[in-house]
This record gives sequence, C-alpha cells and structure tokens, in this order.
Amino acid sequence: MTHIKVTVKHVGKKHKREFRLGPHATIADLLKELGHNRETIVVRRNGKIVVEEECLADGDLIEILPIVTGG
Amino acid sequence: MLKCTFCGRRAAYNRRYAGVLLCDRCLIKSVEKRFRRAIAEHKLLLPGERVAVAVSGGKDSVAAMHLLVEYCRLKNCELVTITIDEGIKGYRDQSIGVARDNAKSLGIEHFVVSFKRIFGATLDQMARRARARKTELNPCTYCGVMRRSLLNQAARELEADKLVTAHNLDDEVQAIMLNYVRADFSRLHRLGPAYSPREGFVPRIKPLREIPEKEVALYALLRGLEVHLAVCPYVGGIHTEIRDFLNLLEANHPNSKFMILRMFDRLKPQLARIVPEFEMRRCKSCGEPTSAIICKSCELLKGLGLRRLRKTLISPKSS
Repeated sequence: MTHIKVTVKHVGKKHKREFRLGPHATIADLLKELGHNRETIVVRRNGKIVVEEECLADGDLIEILPIVTGG
Repeated sequence: MLKCTFCGRRAAYNRRYAGVLLCDRCLIKSVEKRFRRAIAEHKLLLPGERVAVAVSGGKDSVAAMHLLVEYCRLKNCELVTITIDEGIKGYRDQSIGVARDNAKSLGIEHFVVSFKRIFGATLDQMARRARARKTELNPCTYCGVMRRSLLNQAARELEADKLVTAHNLDDEVQAIMLNYVRADFSRLHRLGPAYSPREGFVPRIKPLREIPEKEVALYALLRGLEVHLAVCPYVGGIHTEIRDFLNLLEANHPNSKFMILRMFDRLKPQLARIVPEFEMRRCKSCGEPTSAIICKSCELLKGLGLRRLRKTLISPKSS
C-alpha cells in the first residue's frame, strides 16, 4: 500500500474530512499538516486517547479535541 | 502501539519533558500524586480546614473539585464550591450546569454568585457599555478583577479558611510572562502556590500549579468527568499571544514551561525587596479590602456608570 486514508473529526464540529498520508505517517505528522500544536489538543484514535507518536493505519478515525479554553 | 514506561499498557500520553510514556491509569495516579505533593510541600491545606473551591465547570476546576473531595475526606476538611456567573451568553450559562451537576454528584454544597445580581449588569452588558463609552478596557479586565473580588468575598462569607483556584502550570507561566511583559512587579510578586495577604482576604491556594494544562485535561477526560470544554467568546489579545508563544516554545523545547516556573520561584524572594508595602484599607464604596480609597471593582463599575447593588453575596437562594 502506498498511501493510507484517515478521517479527521474536530470534536464539537459536525463535518469530517478525509486525508491521504504516506504509509508510515504518525498522528504527529497529521497534526503538523493540520497546523495543530500538540500542547493544545487531545487526540482520540478510533475512540481511544493515544500518544501522537502512534503510526496511523488505513481507515482510522482521528478525533481532535481542543483543550485550551481560556487565556 | 506504544506502551506505558511504567506498566506496559497502551500509552495515552507522551510526557516529553520527562521522557516517559504514560497509560491512562498511570497518568491519573501521577496527577493525583502531584496534587497531594503540592499541598504537602507548600502546606496549602491543614487537617480540619473549611475549603472553598472556585468552580466554573471547565476541565481544571472540575478536576480540582474531584481531587479535593478525596483529599478532604482523608484530612477531615470540609468542602464548599463557589461559581461566579459573569453572565456570558452561550458560554457561562452552559458551564454553570456542569459545575452544579458535579457538585451534586459529589454531595458538595454549591453557591452561585452572579454579576447581574450584585452589580446590576452581566459581563455582556458591561462589555457593550465599555464599547459605547470607548473605555479601551477589554472584557477580561472587568471579568478578572470582579470575579476575583467576588470569589474572595464569597469565600469569606462562607467562613472558608482557604480558597482553591484551579490554575494549572500553563495559567501560572502565562501570568508570569504577562507580568514580565508589563513590568508589573506588584502582580508578579503575588503569584505563587499560595497568596496569603492580610485581613479581609481568604488565603488563595493553587494545588494544580505544577500540573500542565494538557495533563489536567487528560485527567478529566480519562476519568470520564463531566466538563465544559467551550472557549470563552472574549478570549483574545495579549493573553492569547503569550499562551500561543509558550505552547510553541514547549512543543519545540519540552520542559520550557517548568523552567520558567522554577526560575520565577527562585527569583520571587528577591521581589519582596522591590515591591513596596501598602496599607490595607476598606473600600469607601463597598467595604471590601483595598490599597486605594475605592477598590478596583468599584472603580471599574463607576467608569461604566454602574454601582454595586448588594453588599452581601451569599443568601439562602445562592445555593
């Protein structure tokens, strides 16, 4: 497989987006592409909170939960 | 799958500043341990004390409330919660319910004090008045000053020995940087794990001060606590710029936030020498403690053409 396809959902927003990434892409790579700072979000991969260094797999659902609410 | 450094379960968090991976259970245990250690190290609470905790319904204050319940049970402390309803439509009205539900589920008495009832105007109305009068003050100024004052008074009326606020590492480091930028020695000097000024003030304590915001959020989420995660509509300005700068710094150079905190804590004793002592008085308008003739809250209200309607906050209706 040359590329993987993942679905990204921002918690609190309705729409989902699909992304195509390289075969060894991590969640951190995806966050970089989306312009998110890891300090300000929590990531759920297929419903589980995971570390950003996990490699993505084809068909993953990635939910991004913003945690910085003040300031 | 990446594994927890300590138990081998699936990792949920990469604590990069310490070079360890933590699973859900180890993260929860670690946050609880740091919370207890902060209280013990700085003697923030003593057995048998009456403790008021400020709860907005957000992740930090809800986490603080849950952490305190267990601690207070062990140390025979009595816990009450206070929520300040600033009157921010679509934001605070939603979080108050979350605060109330959490207090109810834990069996803690909960008091709500509203800007509208005490000052005759919500923060939304104050923001509109400020714009119309071209005061150049943003809503965060009104909110911060008035909320702090009401929290102190409510805690005093409830005869609390301590007032807990849920400021986390990020909040504290942002405040340090903001006061550096503004060269505000007086406010800088007041920062720390505990602030115990004089008569009329309930000592304020921050047991989450050494826990990063992300770890507090993970603690709340992994424990399945009901929290309100919306963003305040008034967020912006220099506070946000400093927050974003610090988060970028931490992402590129892990441990930066802790280093800023440690540096400040070492410098703080020297600040006492350059911050002048001030005489504590009673505000001529509302009677609250202040260093001036009228307190900052009353001064801001006056600038908006408002005045305080009630001197006492806690009534039987408040809980």
